[in-house]
Amino acid sequence: MDAANLLPPRGNFPPPAGNFPPPLAGEGQGGGRGYYNYPVVRRPVWTWEVPAYFWLGGMAAGAYVTASLAQTFGSSDDRRAAAGGYYLAAAALVPCAPLLIADLGRPDRFHHMLRIFKPLSPMNLGAWTLTGFTPVAFARAASHAANTGLLRGPLGVLARLVPSRLAELAGCALGLTLAGYSGVLLAATNIPLWAKSKLLGGLFMASALASGSAAVTLQAARRGAPDATLHRLAMLESAASAGEIAVLAGYLVQSGRTARPLTRGRFAAPFWFGAVGAGAVFPLLLHGFAHRRQGGLLRTLSSTAALCTIAGSLALRWSIFEAGKDSSKDQAASFELSSN
Amino acid sequence: MIDAYKRLMNVEPPPPAKKARGFFTDTSLCIGCKACEVACKQWNQLPADGFAMTGNSYDNTGTLGATTWRHVEFVEQAKANSSRQDQRWLMMSDVCKHCANAACLEACPTGALIRTEYDTVYVQQDICNGCGFCVPACPFGVIDRAPKHGQFEAGTAHKCTLCYDRLKDDMTPACAKSCPTASIQFGDVEELQQRARHRLAELKARGETKAELYGMPEGKEATEVGPLHAFFLLLDKPQTYNLPEVPRLPRKTMAQRYGWSAAVGIGFALVGAMVFGGRR
Repeated sequence: MDAANLLPPRGNFPPPAGNFPPPLAGEGQGGGRGYYNYPVVRRPVWTWEVPAYFWLGGMAAGAYVTASLAQTFGSSDDRRAAAGGYYLAAAALVPCAPLLIADLGRPDRFHHMLRIFKPLSPMNLGAWTLTGFTPVAFARAASHAANTGLLRGPLGVLARLVPSRLAELAGCALGLTLAGYSGVLLAATNIPLWAKSKLLGGLFMASALASGSAAVTLQAARRGAPDATLHRLAMLESAASAGEIAVLAGYLVQSGRTARPLTRGRFAAPFWFGAVGAGAVFPLLLHGFAHRRQGGLLRTLSSTAALCTIAGSLALRWSIFEAGKDSSKDQAASFELSSN
Repeated sequence: MIDAYKRLMNVEPPPPAKKARGFFTDTSLCIGCKACEVACKQWNQLPADGFAMTGNSYDNTGTLGATTWRHVEFVEQAKANSSRQDQRWLMMSDVCKHCANAACLEACPTGALIRTEYDTVYVQQDICNGCGFCVPACPFGVIDRAPKHGQFEAGTAHKCTLCYDRLKDDMTPACAKSCPTASIQFGDVEELQQRARHRLAELKARGETKAELYGMPEGKEATEVGPLHAFFLLLDKPQTYNLPEVPRLPRKTMAQRYGWSAAVGIGFALVGAMVFGGRR
């Protein structure tokens, strides 16, 4: 029996391969500046549930905000077409809490997140925001269902009591917090790829709003919304995508060499082709092309662009999240991050 | 009403504050015997880490972790064609630094990580739900989450407790107690700092020009995380021992990050109002 197999594997151990012949540490020749080539910070223990939650939560928030903007400022066509965003928001929120709980080391203690209120910790702020946003999104969706006759009976009567305007306002505040905290959470660590630039929070916010407005566009196109409404939704989505590209450019410039695990490593393909190409540039071009089109062609183009934006948003979260794990091994980047 | 709540929730008053306790690890005295690692494992009942050989000097421990709270580093400094005086074998027993402003403690969303009456940083095992946020938050890579399905306290975060249980009984932490050369010294932080300054002056006078203290209140490494309650006397630059030059505290830049995030959100809302409001 191999005794080593009985023991749990440890995050950063055994150390990265290529240590033989051993490099000389310190000022000796051969080695870098640090202690052999060991990582300075620990590899994050989070798994796929986290980027999946960031994606879904962000999309829910984006859809809710888009629907509320249409309710507040839009025409009656806009309001009718965009209200489906409330259903999308509620649906996308369903798996969020289970995903977050599944990622915990002790899922049975998930409620410990809410035993204190500590906004200083983005994780605690996010847990409270999700706890607040989920019922608001469901109440607003139910109120819409009751008003359109979809929800009848005693529940419908109850749902009609929901103050829509208040729910929209509170939901937008909570939703924007939900969309905006996730990038800050990753950045509030010492992982060089996440922490070097100050823009990761803004990047995830832009991506969330792009995917959320895309989800609204997608359902509006499928349910046969008028062309003018589709054009307006496409314009909003394009603005978010353009913003995402701008923030991403700033993020990459600020990160510099630290961004290599993302831009050159094994996540280069999902990042450049998935998140940037298919997720932001291609939908922008498609919407631009669809700008003066009408009817079936417009619907097809809008739906395709929206689907690409939604998929690209997932690719962005996933590639930055996973590349962060590679970045944690980057001793030189850690030293650069911690040298003032 | 607050009293009733406290009675209901069984909230006890915190123990009265004591003098800050900590470690002064004088690496100039370390002989690399790893007695500290063994004593720590024995007292805290931590499982072994396996029998992997790294090929990096005598360091087969590799790194601090959920079940390794002391780690002896072996730095071999040798230059080709140099005199014997230039060849050095540096040893250093690494440990949780118990920062005055601890990144792990600030990150913790459950309040499992607390500051004790001895001004140390401690994980309450019955509160931690294993969210894992403290793990990448620590600028030194100290704290770690035990594997979810492992045999040892599965799924929660672990690190050096500065032998909180021993401190409660006025005992010296296991590692300091076992150190045969007084490389690991335990005591009141203020007194240890005085001792460290004195020792540094002594070494400098003897010609150890590269010696420096790491984690003192006046050091630049204390600008963000504050003085380290487990601090070190090093014989070379901090990075030689994989210690960051200026360990970062994520809180310091958080407002700016939220600001950018909010700017994007507000921008989107304005565009939305213009797009939907400017119809016709």
